[in-house]
Amino acid sequence: MSRLEHLPTLRIDPSLTLPLHYRGKTRYGVSGDTVATALFADGVRIFGRSLKYHRPRGLYSLDGECANTTMAVDGVPNVRTETTPLVSGMRVAVQNVMGFPEFDVMGFMDRLSPFMPAGFYYRILHKPAMIWPLALKSIRKAAGLGKISPDFRTIGTFEERYLHADVCVVGGGAAGMSAALAAAESGLRVILLEARPWLGGCWDYRSGADSDALPLYERSRELAREVADEPRIRVFCRTPMIGAYNDNLVTAVQSGGEDEGFTERYIEIRAQSVVVATGCIERPLLFENNDRPGVMQVGCAHRLARTYGILPGKTAVFSVGHDMGLEAAVDLSELGVEVLCVADAREDGQHPGLVRALTERGIPLLRGWVAARAFGKRHVKKAAVTTVEGTVRREFACDLLVASAGLSPVTGPLTVAGARLAYDVHTGYFLPEALPCGVHAAGRLLGWNDPGAAEASGRLAGVRAAADCGKTVDSDAAEAALAAHPGPESGCKLVTAPVAGKKAFVCFDEDATVKNVRQAIDMGFDVPELIKRFAAVGLGPGQGGIPGHNLPLLAARYRADTAPPRPTTVRSPLVPALIAAYAGAQRDMCKRTPLHRLQERDGGVFRRTGVWKRARYFSDDTECREEILAVRNGVGMLDASTLGKFRIHGPDALNALQRVYVSDMRKVGSDRVKYSAMCNDDGCVIDDGVAVKIGENDYYFTTSTGRAGATVEWIRYHTRFDEWDFHLVNLTDALGVINLAGPDARTVLESITDADVSNEAFPFAGYRTFRVDGWIPVRAMRLGFVGELSFELHAPSSFMPALWDRVAEAGKPHGIRNFGMEAQNVLRMEKGHVILGQESEQRTNLLDLGLGFLWDRSKTDAATVGAVALEQAEDDPDRLTLVGIEMDDPDRPAKDGSVIVDDRIRGYVCTLRRSVTLNRAVGMALVEAPLSAPGTHLEIFEDDCNGQRLKAKVVPMPFYDPEGKRMKG
Amino acid sequence: MFFRTRRLWKKPDRLRSRYDAVIIGGGLHGLATAYYLAREHGMRDVAVIEKNYIGFGGAGRNTAIVRANQRTSENLPLYKEALDLWPVLTRELNFNLMFNNCGNLNLVHSEAAMKASRLNVATAQFHGVESHLLDAAQVKEMEPALNIAEDIAFPIHGAMYHPPGGVVRHDAVVWGLAKGASAHGVHIHQQTEATGISVENGAVAGVETRAGNIRTGRVLISAGGYSADIIHRMLGLTLPISVLTIQAMVTQPLKPLLNHVVSSGAYHVYANQTLKGEIATGAHMDPWPNYTTRNSAHYIKHQAEALGEMLPCLRGVRFMRHWAGLADMTPDMAPIMDGNDPVRGAYINCGWGYFGFKSCAVVGKHMAAFMAGGECPEILRPFHLRRYEQHRLMGETAAVVNYSPDN
Repeated sequence: MSRLEHLPTLRIDPSLTLPLHYRGKTRYGVSGDTVATALFADGVRIFGRSLKYHRPRGLYSLDGECANTTMAVDGVPNVRTETTPLVSGMRVAVQNVMGFPEFDVMGFMDRLSPFMPAGFYYRILHKPAMIWPLALKSIRKAAGLGKISPDFRTIGTFEERYLHADVCVVGGGAAGMSAALAAAESGLRVILLEARPWLGGCWDYRSGADSDALPLYERSRELAREVADEPRIRVFCRTPMIGAYNDNLVTAVQSGGEDEGFTERYIEIRAQSVVVATGCIERPLLFENNDRPGVMQVGCAHRLARTYGILPGKTAVFSVGHDMGLEAAVDLSELGVEVLCVADAREDGQHPGLVRALTERGIPLLRGWVAARAFGKRHVKKAAVTTVEGTVRREFACDLLVASAGLSPVTGPLTVAGARLAYDVHTGYFLPEALPCGVHAAGRLLGWNDPGAAEASGRLAGVRAAADCGKTVDSDAAEAALAAHPGPESGCKLVTAPVAGKKAFVCFDEDATVKNVRQAIDMGFDVPELIKRFAAVGLGPGQGGIPGHNLPLLAARYRADTAPPRPTTVRSPLVPALIAAYAGAQRDMCKRTPLHRLQERDGGVFRRTGVWKRARYFSDDTECREEILAVRNGVGMLDASTLGKFRIHGPDALNALQRVYVSDMRKVGSDRVKYSAMCNDDGCVIDDGVAVKIGENDYYFTTSTGRAGATVEWIRYHTRFDEWDFHLVNLTDALGVINLAGPDARTVLESITDADVSNEAFPFAGYRTFRVDGWIPVRAMRLGFVGELSFELHAPSSFMPALWDRVAEAGKPHGIRNFGMEAQNVLRMEKGHVILGQESEQRTNLLDLGLGFLWDRSKTDAATVGAVALEQAEDDPDRLTLVGIEMDDPDRPAKDGSVIVDDRIRGYVCTLRRSVTLNRAVGMALVEAPLSAPGTHLEIFEDDCNGQRLKAKVVPMPFYDPEGKRMKG
Repeated sequence: MFFRTRRLWKKPDRLRSRYDAVIIGGGLHGLATAYYLAREHGMRDVAVIEKNYIGFGGAGRNTAIVRANQRTSENLPLYKEALDLWPVLTRELNFNLMFNNCGNLNLVHSEAAMKASRLNVATAQFHGVESHLLDAAQVKEMEPALNIAEDIAFPIHGAMYHPPGGVVRHDAVVWGLAKGASAHGVHIHQQTEATGISVENGAVAGVETRAGNIRTGRVLISAGGYSADIIHRMLGLTLPISVLTIQAMVTQPLKPLLNHVVSSGAYHVYANQTLKGEIATGAHMDPWPNYTTRNSAHYIKHQAEALGEMLPCLRGVRFMRHWAGLADMTPDMAPIMDGNDPVRGAYINCGWGYFGFKSCAVVGKHMAAFMAGGECPEILRPFHLRRYEQHRLMGETAAVVNYSPDN
């Protein structure tokens, strides 16, 4: 199709053609086209088939509010072709079509509509019960629009931006631009978001009602130039707002142009003040076959011609409810469309100039008339119009029916920001009755249709936004300027033509008709929100875009409500946004220890442990035989840097420790570490670790990896009423830890330090500070978590790689090996040491774990957290207790997590392994107290055991080196 | 006409001055209890008092997943019975609840998580509920869209597969129960707010509402996320409940892609495909207590990041709706169901967190028995309120949880 050329409003470059592939053919659009306009220009009228009835669908609003024109583009389903810019070489495919768009095999579904009233699926298909699973399969196949392959991968670069501004203006029409300019003039930084590729809104393609003033398209370009020249305004085009959250956080997705370095960009804007100037969409007119290709809204028809240079049809009938409809009729007739008549649902109130222009062109204006039916199987061939009462009817042969009932403000951005809407009788709009702090509305959204008023209301909002930002402004003057213009016009109240509504679609996406809405109401669904769900109105890909305001108005009319209608809820995202866009750069935020690279070099296999990545194995052997034997017989080294490490100091440091630890922390010495535990108010163990005194009123303590993040708050919370004077420093990331363990550990350590680390000078549980190689500062602890002689070496993170290399080098003659978490897990299990979360669960208390000896009951003055619960629990016979167990068959260890049963579940296996050291299968389990006596026989039920229970018995712990000679030697 | 359009539930008469039982909360648990009170226990005068419209709260905001693979022997039988009830209810109510028995895949991302899952699987199997552990390759075979590569934040190690679970249409359950309750004479009073409970001599004497006062000897508070507040105001009981916002969202509808409910604790995400073809997803709660049901930007972004790794094809799919509801969390992630303590005739059913949907029918059944007979059914006994003052938590979760704002 040849384009209209030389129109001053065109946004295309007809000289630059771009190929696209559709239905096996290469077609051509031009630069500036959207996918939909390119296809339309190429003669495509049916863009897809509807969900339920497989009705043909075509261009409707050109703003992508519904699924009519969503198609698969380059494998991505549900692309809104009306708003997606054409890119050279795109591959476009129809959706929900079986056969061809013109001949859909499923087209017969349309005739079955009498059998599919609102909510029919709830009332059938379950009797008899056996048919449901079959029905379910066909429902699933029939449902859904787009198709995506499980192997599909999105190509492109996705970015994210976090921006700050004083004022964020949403909508780049005349009002939005005026608001941005007004705010920027007072010295504020402004962000202006516009969904279309250019600024201007509905002025961009309009000449204006009055010929004496500057045409609207020229005025909008003038404003756009002013905006561009204002350095304080950052403009984001192709950037629809998608959400608004607390404290004026606005989110948007920007589509990249062909020359830009990104495909889509997720944007979060934190602004002091937000101005919403998103204008209006057209209120869909409900009549029979209002979804037929060839039926389109005023703006769609008008923009096809004025913006894209495509005549929307040859012979047109208009059925409108607002002056923009008259204006379009005049303009399109000027451009070559034969306009047979203009039905206007309003009896009066039309702009005299427009009425005159219609008369001059010989176009009959039928006041108080409305379209009642579109004829034609696949495309409009004829239109029937009637009086709004339905008493008189006329028919016109035409290929275009331009229809809209009136205007609806785009209030979504306001409601997601927290505004309440109320029905306004004058305009017939749902208008904000209360706006949240720092949110303003402007422009046609509020009914300011007069061009001067639109600009003035924008400036007023900009001025008010500036006031939010602390600027001294003259809002009285701005208000007066607005008051000088004509106020909002009375809007058309008509929602539906006088028809039965069997094929008058309230919601295109889910094929919900006026009749369906009435059925739902008749069945007791009286609240729009419930009608919406039961009749499926506004739940499809376009959400409430098409039916959002029509549904409550229709329901209110049908129910003859006295109370004013309420709109249905609008939810973010305001336009559907790609998951890839939301994900943005998709950064993995985990923490790595200072020794991560070195362990990677040594073949570490890493696992996420909380926020950290830790090495679990250093070979393919998941039983870690070599790692275990190295620690038992030689020496091994473990990166334990993820341990929580803290310093607490100040006059009340000890008090704070007394409060949260169960032990008497006065006994913490300066050359010995003390092992203790923290409980919560239920006496359940939440943490264990060691503490040592490093100075006067100055302590260093460790926590488990999982608690490192919560410990500071935990201590602060539990001392919040005491006004104690102490400082708490989280050193977890500042220090790293190596656990050097095994019978040869001392020899290795001796070779790299001058300090005396003999058993006499540095006994078990000792704490020493010294330097390795004379320069690496180390805090060393003699601990024995893995049951061997071991030194825990704490050093500043920056020194850790050097320390690690030094230890590794010194250990080489002794065959030192890295060991990972799994080896440590087995080693400590053999020694009967617990790992919280593994041998404990949420409800496991200190006594259950056999750690009651840590609890000092004498320090009642400390109000130890959990002490009250522990006292209560002491006499409780019905608790799970931690025991050591041994499998009867040493070669068949039960798997962790198996349950211990008799006629019911009595406990479960926490950790159990075939021990290479002991040649026994041993482990720990939590069992009910009556089963905890040594010698008790247990039956273990493993998953998928086919009733074959494993046998074990309770045995004393520890299994390895019960006297602790190795650990303490 | 093929279908008769008649009201699913009756337009209620005016609020009566006397009812045998009053239920505060027209959500799933309230409607189910009313239904069973009228149907099983022949109680003729039962009123459901709903401040908004039925199904306004969690009933209409959940993601409709049902399963019975819980951790403890106290919880699991309840959910097992609940699963078995869906087909029964569909028949009884003559309303298609659309139970899609697609099965649940709980992904496991580490050896440690495998242990935790094994406990659930073994517990389920011991109770006769089908559940299995799968390895990554098996998982991929069942759900080809899943990414089992090693180069993601939480590589998939395996899964807990629970065939009897799936998805039920949550709105249908609300409407079906309202239909059934109404057919048995229950009065459903929407847009009617309860304002107080009057107590005489340690027993319930009546319920005050904005539409008038009711004399009754039995009242159940079962108002989802709002229960703890109502119970505090009307009965003076302070419950160990924190109310948190929980968010969920759906993508635009797609042709069949996911065959199961897929979830991952590590990614904090679950995803299932509704009968309409949307991918419904959500998971964790906001980390601070509030009653707002507002969305947060961070949440939907997180879901996108997680889904993009787990189910990478979904990166080419669009989110279209994001909403929030309330989860009333107890310290042990198990509900509170109690009655006659300390006020005779006052029953409470709350603390369901995000398990309220899957349990609604079975709880209604047993709460009704409790209210009708005054004797707590065996299956509900472990859920009494006093377990908290005895420091005896249920162990439904392994990890220590704390929902208070300060920790």
